Amino acid sequence: MVDVTETLLVRRARAGQLEAMQQLYERHASRVYTVVRRLAGDDELAADLAQDAWTSAFQKIREFRGEAAFGTWVHRIAVNTALTRLRQAARRRNLELSFDGRSTVGNPDRWPATGAAERLTVQRALELLPDGYRSVLWLHDVEGYTHEEIGAQLGIAVGTSKSQLAKARARLRALVSESRVEVVDHGASQ
Amino acid sequence: MAHLNEETLSELLDGASVAGAEEHLASCSACRGELEALRRLRSQLRELPELEAPAELWSRIEARVAVAGRVRRLRVGRPRVIAMQAAAMAAVFVIGLGLGRVFWRGDQQGAGAQLVSEGSSATSLADAMAEVRRLGAQYDAALRNLEQLAVEEGAPTPSLAEQRLVSLDALVEASRTALSAEPADPVLNSYLFAALEERDAVLRQIRAQQEAGSEVLWR
Repeated sequence: MVDVTETLLVRRARAGQLEAMQQLYERHASRVYTVVRRLAGDDELAADLAQDAWTSAFQKIREFRGEAAFGTWVHRIAVNTALTRLRQAARRRNLELSFDGRSTVGNPDRWPATGAAERLTVQRALELLPDGYRSVLWLHDVEGYTHEEIGAQLGIAVGTSKSQLAKARARLRALVSESRVEVVDHGASQ
Repeated sequence: MAHLNEETLSELLDGASVAGAEEHLASCSACRGELEALRRLRSQLRELPELEAPAELWSRIEARVAVAGRVRRLRVGRPRVIAMQAAAMAAVFVIGLGLGRVFWRGDQQGAGAQLVSEGSSATSLADAMAEVRRLGAQYDAALRNLEQLAVEEGAPTPSLAEQRLVSLDALVEASRTALSAEPADPVLNSYLFAALEERDAVLRQIRAQQEAGSEVLWR
């Protein structure tokens, strides 16, 4: 069986071959979905964002010159897609609320906080952060974006990005701590 | 004693130097603990597992891409289809060559490549040559069609080279597939070599055009 390289798949996708697009999608679907899901904090929105990102990538695949890996290129498109949508939503709701208000997603009720469940606790706490906090935190601490890059992406000043990061870290820390206390209390009452 | 605020702790976490902070940390176990907790939390964030995309997501994307694809095909659809059909037919023919034990004589001159067979009937040789001429003519016509369309549109069409590249990829793959069954077949080896050579030439042209920022139509 001939090994079909990614370069070959990209070339075919550029020529409009749907099968090649699907193979590219399958190679990078998890990574793309993960980043939009983390930024969105919501399953339904994440699926919409991933769909938009992939459609956009295939529509402009002719612009892909191979200077970076295809995975890196489509990941960047996914981040841009997510941030653009979140920015638009923030404008509709009021930017201040987006960056400093309470999240509307879920409540930290009875989170597991020990052993393997620790990750789930962090994941749920992340989802409870306001969109602006979560975006800055994820982009900086996980994706490795600089404050300059974040500022450009989100349309905020570098100083604001630093300040949001500090608040996001503190808020996440508090949420995780609260969840631990709740679980301990809950466990003691039984 | 006032503890370090969240902004200072955040800066320290990123490795920045903050005046007076190191001294404070040396004497304050609460702030050291807080900084360590933030560091651990950041590690946990980075270790969160990748998530599976929803199972139905590809079908949604496929539908959207297909809609966009129809729009593109209105503009360049016919030549693309013709070129791809020609490539597919040529690829099938390569496999047919392997199965039919027809041998390449080597004097390839444009579309007029000559074939001879060893131990095969005159009828099969005539059929094979007729097929070569037919495929060659179709392939040439498809390429002329593409180029003509580009001229008529009056716009640079780098996709011509890309279409050609995809066709050549198909030929290379088909040759390799056939060679896996008949590794010593000289026809298939010659065909693979010629296709690889041609593909390299096309790739060099594309790269040269990209480097020069050229908008020149590929020929």
